[in-house]
Amino acid sequence: MSASFAAKRLGKELQKISNSLPPGIELVSAENFDEWLLDIKVLDNNPLYQNETYRLKFRFGPSYPIEPPEVVFVQLPDRPIPMHPHVYSNGIICLDLLGQQGWSPVQNVESVCMSLQSMLTGNSKNERPPGDEDFVRVNRQRPRDIQFYYHDNDV
Amino acid sequence: MPPPNTPEEGMAADGLQPLYDEPLQTSSSHPSSEMAHASQDESCILKLDYQNIEYIEPIDDTLLCPICKTPFHSPITTACGHTFCAACINRALETQPTCPIDRQPINKTRDYRRLPLIIKDQLDRLQVKCPNRGCDYECSREHLEGHYERRCEFTQVRCPDPTCTKLVARRDAIATKDCMHVDVACEFCDQSMSFPQLTGHYNHECDANFTECPDCNTPVVRHRLVKHRTQDCPEGNTQCKWHTAGCKVVDKRRIVQEHEQSGCSFEVVGRLMQQRVEDRKTIDELAARLTKVELAQSRRRERRIEHSSRAGRSPIASSSRSAHTTTNLPDITLNNNHMPLFPGSAADDSAAGGSAEDYMLARFERLETQLERFERLETQLEQVRQQAREIDTRQSHMILQQATHFSEQLAEIGSKVGVVNMHMSWLMSLQRQSNAQQRAGSAAAGGSSGSGMSHGSGSGGGARPGSSDDSGVRYLGESRRHSEGRPESLHRL
Repeated sequence: MSASFAAKRLGKELQKISNSLPPGIELVSAENFDEWLLDIKVLDNNPLYQNETYRLKFRFGPSYPIEPPEVVFVQLPDRPIPMHPHVYSNGIICLDLLGQQGWSPVQNVESVCMSLQSMLTGNSKNERPPGDEDFVRVNRQRPRDIQFYYHDNDV
Repeated sequence: MPPPNTPEEGMAADGLQPLYDEPLQTSSSHPSSEMAHASQDESCILKLDYQNIEYIEPIDDTLLCPICKTPFHSPITTACGHTFCAACINRALETQPTCPIDRQPINKTRDYRRLPLIIKDQLDRLQVKCPNRGCDYECSREHLEGHYERRCEFTQVRCPDPTCTKLVARRDAIATKDCMHVDVACEFCDQSMSFPQLTGHYNHECDANFTECPDCNTPVVRHRLVKHRTQDCPEGNTQCKWHTAGCKVVDKRRIVQEHEQSGCSFEVVGRLMQQRVEDRKTIDELAARLTKVELAQSRRRERRIEHSSRAGRSPIASSSRSAHTTTNLPDITLNNNHMPLFPGSAADDSAAGGSAEDYMLARFERLETQLERFERLETQLEQVRQQAREIDTRQSHMILQQATHFSEQLAEIGSKVGVVNMHMSWLMSLQRQSNAQQRAGSAAAGGSSGSGMSHGSGSGGGARPGSSDDSGVRYLGESRRHSEGRPESLHRL
């Protein structure tokens, strides 16, 4: 039953998304209600992200939207991982919005994309999170199982 | 010290939220029992799924639950003023006991508010379609549940076989008492499936779904092929639609249609015949109605005859019909021409020796004329009564007028008598005064009294006693009264 709940909600979202999306966000594929791919662009002239497009992968659990979706950047030849102190080089994003505590069921795919857009827009540090190399080497967990500590709110 | 923002350090975050742990556990036990209950219900009938309803008109965004994005179903408003479906907010609170919109803490038992009825009305009025496939019923959302759970022929209900746990559409379930879930083979492909699935299979799934019409070579859904060939196929043989009028054209439908449109020569005749058939139908209808009316009328007459005869000459009415066929035969012959309603039956009856009915009818008619006469008399009586009443009122009016006249005259006389009375008393007092003066002494002779005398005699002939002339006379008697009254009034002031 909860699986169908997620499906119904995603169906509504897909309907809305395929009609209109904010500028800089594009739906790449949404073949099922488990995994969607979207492309985002940073619209202002931030030199870090100019002329780049980033691929986002959403994975929805059966209890979406009560539980947050799993959102990561995906690396492809023409889709790099953006440089950001909250984005690990393997694409995992440390954003409270995507964690158990920060998530809210009123969020949706579109609002997550927009949050990520603005997260990149507001950044001026060309760096990875501290301990990135170790984390990327060690981590085998899925993003939803990782306990992030959201230490700063200004980036 | 591990670097900040690393997963290891995040473990500390667990300890930050001990407050939420307790309500989370208590609330999680409750809904799970609810869920178990719901699943039990589902086995007998599938509940209407409000998130799966198709709305006819686009819904205003403000009526959508922010969690499920469908129009609210049994909504709840939180203390912070946000509204959600009850199921949605309950589920959201299981993982996080805060408002999903502004993250204010929410206590399920304390912070739920009653929803304004105006929103409920708005939701109830939304026009929806029945979610069942095949049903095209539309209604307001308020009524959908009743339709879906009790009336809709396409709602899945339990299989009529009590041992079967599967579901079947309601309209199929009534038809038979046997289990509907025995596999049947599709007659067009190799698949086998249960009966309830068969229609859907034919229309949407069957591999041999489409077949070519042998006449026109277009693909047709196979189980509609017969209908297609007899009614739609442009290459199928058919007759001109005016064949009843004598048109002999028989050809492919395409050609026949052209022939019909270009004007079949039998069309005029055909239309006339059609019209004739329609006319005939209305005539038959009217005739049927007429006989019905006649029957009702005759029945009513009979009843009235019975009634009147019972009241009047009961022996004739109650005795057998044969009795009066002999005794009152002349009546029948006399009154036979007053029976325009049953010309046929009257003739038949008279041929059979005159019937009791005819006699009764005649009697009845006579009674009726008598009744009429009575009625006429009654109206006349009424008229007379009215006239009498009129005269009566006129007379009483006259009397009243005269009486008032009399009373006026009486009043006048009364006043005149009063005047005379006053004159009398005045004269009497004058007399008394003069007597007293005479008694007091002849020596004292008052000029004033003399003048008063002269005055009084002068005014005595006058009509009015209250005129200014006699003020001098009244002075004697009344001045005392005045002087007595004055201190009293002063006192009062």
